[in-house]
Order: sequence, then structure tokens, then C-alpha cells
Amino acid sequence: MQRRDFFKKIGTIVAVSAITPAISFANEKQKSPNTMNFTTAMDTITGGKPVKTSKLIKLKVPEIAENGAVVPVTVNVDSPMTEKDYVKAIHILSGKNFNARSVDIYLTPANGKAMFSTRIKLGGTQEVTALVELSNGTFIKASQSVKVTIGGCG
Amino acid sequence: MDISRRDFMHIAAIFGLGAATNGIANNKTPASLSLKDIYEFKAKGNFTLLHMCDIHAHIKPLYWREPSTLISAPNLVGTPGFLCGEAFAKHYGLEPSSLDAYFDTYMDFDTLAKKFGKMGGIAHMKTYLDHVRKERGAENVLFLDSGDTWQGTGVALKTKGEAIVKAQNYLGVDVMVGHWEFTYGKEQVMNLIDKLDAKFISQNVIGNDPFADEYEELIFDPYTIEKRGGAKIGIIGQSFPFTSTANPKEFTEGWSFGIRPETLQKYVDELRKKHKVDCVVVLSHDGFSVDQEVARMVHGIDFILSGHTHDPSPAPIVIDGTVIVIAGSHGKYVGRLDINAKNGKVIDYEYKLVPIASNMIPADPKGVKLVKELYAPFASELNEVLGKTKNTLYKRDTFFSTFDQLINDAIMDEMKCDLSFTPGYRWGTTVLGGDVITMDNVYEMCGITYPNVYTFELKGEQIANLLEDIADNVFNANPLYQQGGDMSRLGGVTYSIAVANKPGKRISKLMIGGKPIDLKKTYIVSSWGGNLQNAGKNIQKKKIRPVYDVVRDYIKRKKVVDVSNKGNVTLVDYECGCPVKGSRSC
Repeated sequence: MQRRDFFKKIGTIVAVSAITPAISFANEKQKSPNTMNFTTAMDTITGGKPVKTSKLIKLKVPEIAENGAVVPVTVNVDSPMTEKDYVKAIHILSGKNFNARSVDIYLTPANGKAMFSTRIKLGGTQEVTALVELSNGTFIKASQSVKVTIGGCG
Repeated sequence: MDISRRDFMHIAAIFGLGAATNGIANNKTPASLSLKDIYEFKAKGNFTLLHMCDIHAHIKPLYWREPSTLISAPNLVGTPGFLCGEAFAKHYGLEPSSLDAYFDTYMDFDTLAKKFGKMGGIAHMKTYLDHVRKERGAENVLFLDSGDTWQGTGVALKTKGEAIVKAQNYLGVDVMVGHWEFTYGKEQVMNLIDKLDAKFISQNVIGNDPFADEYEELIFDPYTIEKRGGAKIGIIGQSFPFTSTANPKEFTEGWSFGIRPETLQKYVDELRKKHKVDCVVVLSHDGFSVDQEVARMVHGIDFILSGHTHDPSPAPIVIDGTVIVIAGSHGKYVGRLDINAKNGKVIDYEYKLVPIASNMIPADPKGVKLVKELYAPFASELNEVLGKTKNTLYKRDTFFSTFDQLINDAIMDEMKCDLSFTPGYRWGTTVLGGDVITMDNVYEMCGITYPNVYTFELKGEQIANLLEDIADNVFNANPLYQQGGDMSRLGGVTYSIAVANKPGKRISKLMIGGKPIDLKKTYIVSSWGGNLQNAGKNIQKKKIRPVYDVVRDYIKRKKVVDVSNKGNVTLVDYECGCPVKGSRSC
């Protein structure tokens, strides 16, 4: 049994009352054909282009998740969002999830602001990455580690 | 009269000398100490903040031995928050065998306990509080409580916290925040707040149930503004950020916690710009090391009155202009902070961590009466003598403690399991070698609202992974990723640990029942105080029983318990339990 499957299971049981779909999560390994590891996901999105870590991206995730099944993520990119210079896409990747590609959001200058907020499911402690495609075709990213734990003590 | 070392510390703080570690000698012998030495304080400024934290419902005096092992990541060890024993004494310049050394360290504890007696208790604490109120004028004094107040003793558990609210009202608490308070459940928390004279504030508790009225709304007032000594004091509340992972979620379903530095900054700015306060205080249950990070992240806080990690800190620490104090645990201390603030600015301050030595500070008769009344309905159960202990039973230390070992022994004896887990909470009690163990003592160690011991199956591999995960909660180099107390205590297990190693690579030589762990094997595990049972299979329902009953029955069977202080964990990368800064040794 994988370490993260173990945590998945714990996360599942803890989350039962909050999120019902999570109940079947532990069995996902057998059912899901959508396997994609982090490197493959990055390469698929960028086409192998280099990706620089950038301070233009403000990635807000908790250091310690209160509930691995619903981890709040907010990505804010400092961009003028004009025809000449805008954010084309925001991708949220979870480093060790069974399928690392959690969210793809496509934007146009009409969005006005390059900001997106959601909740993602994390199967265990891992890095969350916001990968951003700019209108000039280049890619930037920001990452932060999120701890998904069975819990400590007081 | 000689100047005591602690007096020197607070004088030193004024001159910005900081925590000098050598110099002035203190020749005062314990016998020549008097009440005057405890009360001694150079009053300053226009108002006083009195502070307590983590009294864990100890309304009676107790013995409380500080840790003899307090290990963390190498970058943190030996810094305030991760100091103990010899390293602590050296850092703060304590004289061996002094009252301060007795209160602040484990050294020579049993001998000094006989000399100085018990610590804390609301009746003694009240005498000190009233002394300061009289000296300063009650209208110039605020009494702030950093939380972990309602839980930790039998009388608290049996009254669902209500006895302790009565104690707080008697002491005159003005403002509080929470952590273990929440383990009585949301409804009871609100009930008790109704009965509480103090204000309960928190900027970091937010509704997260999309179907509730309070979705994304504050559950409590984020701050309060109090006027004392002509100054406007803004106090922002910070409850324990990891309540929903450290304790069962069901107690706070629909409430989200977290550090929330962005909104904290917003409230600091609001207090300064909109309300033009003279002083910004954060009343916090973040923990001493996390609050040092908070001071780096959030600007404009004058004082953080911290709690959670139970550190006695004789001198404040200053980070980026924010002064951080913390006042130990179990009612052992009251922090006195005199502040001179006007025209929107703190000019200077003076601080002293005051030991509530119950043999020296007389008890207030009203407090003695109140304690007696609160205990009366439960006296016959709580005062029952269960047995005797040969050696001192204590709670703290990073990996092992004798009282936790006793709990594990009791669980293993009854549940017939291969190994047992007891949580590394920081609260509990100390019973001196040769003394009797009462039922009250057992509740002091395990009086929680989710007391069941569960017995179930875990695979060897799960146990190994789990230990690594717990170790990372305790030893992560970044305080923001630490959420545990001390390391979980294991019965039937020995292991070696290299604290400085990478996450997942710290533990080696893991043995269960004297044999190397078999990763494929299924083990019978008993645990309490966490949610480990959710990971296990085949829970043995018939065996489920509250831990305090299991421990009570075991002590009664044994009559005299004999737990050695040997420990079951080998520390690979430090030479001693209380290393000094920048070192792996003492």
C-alpha cells in the first residue's frame, strides 16, 4: 500500500460527513484511467518549454490543510490583462496526486483580472503548483508545500 | 536586598540589553526569598496587562515539572521556544536551586518541590492579581487569557468547562481566545461564552459551511478596544490555527481556522488608522515559535501575548519591533506587562514573569471557598486514592514521559495489543515519587471529551509511515508546518530518530515487541486521543473504553507503580535532551 493511499483513506473517512463523493476515493486507483504524474502534466501543458518561478504569481494555499478533500487554493497573477499582455491560462497542479492535473482555467483580456479561487482534493502531503501561461507564450510558476496529515495533538 | 536575576532581566529589557547570558551573579539563597521578591516590580507607564495562558483548568495548586528533553530542528533548537534544563538556565541566567530554576526547569525537581511546594492555583493567583490591581488602580489593569483554560482536569470535564468559567469570572479575566475550549463542541462553547464575563475574540475563526448563515463570516468579534490609563488598547484575538486538525473535526464542523496573516494585518491597520489606538496587542494561541513567524509576516503589532506551547519565558523577545511574551502553563505564572503608550505610540514597557509560588503567595479565602464548592459534587470520585508511585510521574519531554508510559502500560495490559499510542499533549500533571496517585491525577493526564481507547489492526508499513508523519509535524524546520505537541508516546515499541533528517527519513531501528518491524505484518494497535482508529481495520468494538477508566483500573490492580525514566527512543543526532543554540550538545 502506498503511503499516500493510506492518507487518502484517512482523509476519506474524516471527510465523509463533509464531502460524500470522497467515499469512493480510495478505490480510484483501480477505476481511474486518468493517471498523470506531475512531470507529464507539466510537459503536456508547456510542450517542454522552460518554466521560471515568478513572484508575479501569488499562490495562496494553507501550509496545513484542515481537510485534504477540500483544500482552498487562490491564484492571483499580477498582469495588466490588456490585448498585448495578459494571462492566457492558469493551471493548478498537485505534485503527488494520482492525477496531478487538478485545474485548467483559460482567460482572455475581457476577464479584467487574472484571479481564480477554488478547492482541490489532495491525497497526501505534497507541493501545489500554479502554472501560468502568458500571452507571449512563456510560462511561469509558483509552488508551495501543503501538509495533509492525520493530525497532531494539542 | 540583592537584585535577583529575574529583576535584572526586566531591568535589562528596559535598557535593551536583551537576554544577556553571563555577568551579574545572584547570591540569594532560597531561604532568604520573600513575597517582596516575587512582587518586586518597577511600575511603568499608564497601564498594565496581566497575562495567563494554558492553565488547563488547574484551579488548585499542582506540581509541574518542565521538560528534560525539548528537541526540534537544528535551526530552532536552543532558541526561545526550544530551550530546557541547563540550556534554559544558561540562556536566562538562572541560579541553580533558585525559585526560578524550580519553576522554569526540570533540574533537581524532586528536591526543590519539597522546598518550594506546589505551583499556581486560582486562590493564590487572585492574591497576586489583586496586589497589582491595588498598586496600579483597577481601572488601569487588563487581565488577558491566551486560552486552553476550560479543559484539563476532572472538574472541568464533568462540568463541561463551566466550573472553569466560574473560576475565570472570579479571577476577573477581561478577554480570552481558545483552543481546547472547542473540544466541548460549538454549542457548549457558545453556552459558556454566555456565562463568561470576559470577551471571547478571534479573527481567525470563519464559517466554512456554504449552507450556514455564517458562511465566510467571522464567528467571533475579531478584536476589542479597551480603555485603560487613558490609553486606547486594541486587542486582536487569535485562536489555535490548527484546531480542526489537532482535535476531532466534528467539534468544530462548519468552522475554519488557520493563521490568516492577511486578515490579521487588515485588523492591525484598521485599529491604527480608523480607531487610532495607542497600542496594538495580539492575544494569541498560535504557539511561541509560530508567533515569532507572525511577527515577521504582519507589521504594526506592538505586543503578542502568546500561548499554546507552554513556554515559561522570563524575558520577552523582540522581532521586527514586536514584543512577544508567553507565560508558561498550568497556572504556574502570571505575566505582568507595564506599558507606557500615548498618542498612538508605545514609548516603553517593562515585563516580569511572576511565579505563583503557593507557599509564598497567600491564598485568597474566597478562592479557597470557590475551589471547594466546585470540587464538592465530585470530591468522592476525584479524591479516591488509586495507588502509589515509586518514581516521579511527569508529562512533558519530546519523546517519552513516565506518566505517559504508565498510561501505555495500562492500555497494553488491558487491551493485549502489540503496541499502543498515547498522544503527546503538552498538558498533564506531575506526581512526586512516593506520593499517592488519585483519580484527580488521572483526569489531569487524560480528561478529554473524546477519551475512548480503540483497538484495531494496522499494517507494519502503515505504522512506519505514520510515525514519520507525526515526526514531521513535530520536527519540521519551519514552525508554520509544525502543528503537533510533543511526539506521540509509544508502548511496546523502541526506535531511533535523527531529527535533522529529511521528512520521511528520520526513523530507524523500529522494533515492536523487541523484534524489528515487519512491514507486511498486521499488528494489533491501541490508541486514544487522535483519529488513528479511522486508518485501522477490524476495530474491536467490545474493548472500547475511556482511557481514564483503563488507567484507574490498572493502578488499582498494581497498587504501587514503578515506571523507570529510561525511555524507549534513541536520539541519534543530539547528545542530550536540552541542547544549546547552534549545537548538537549541551
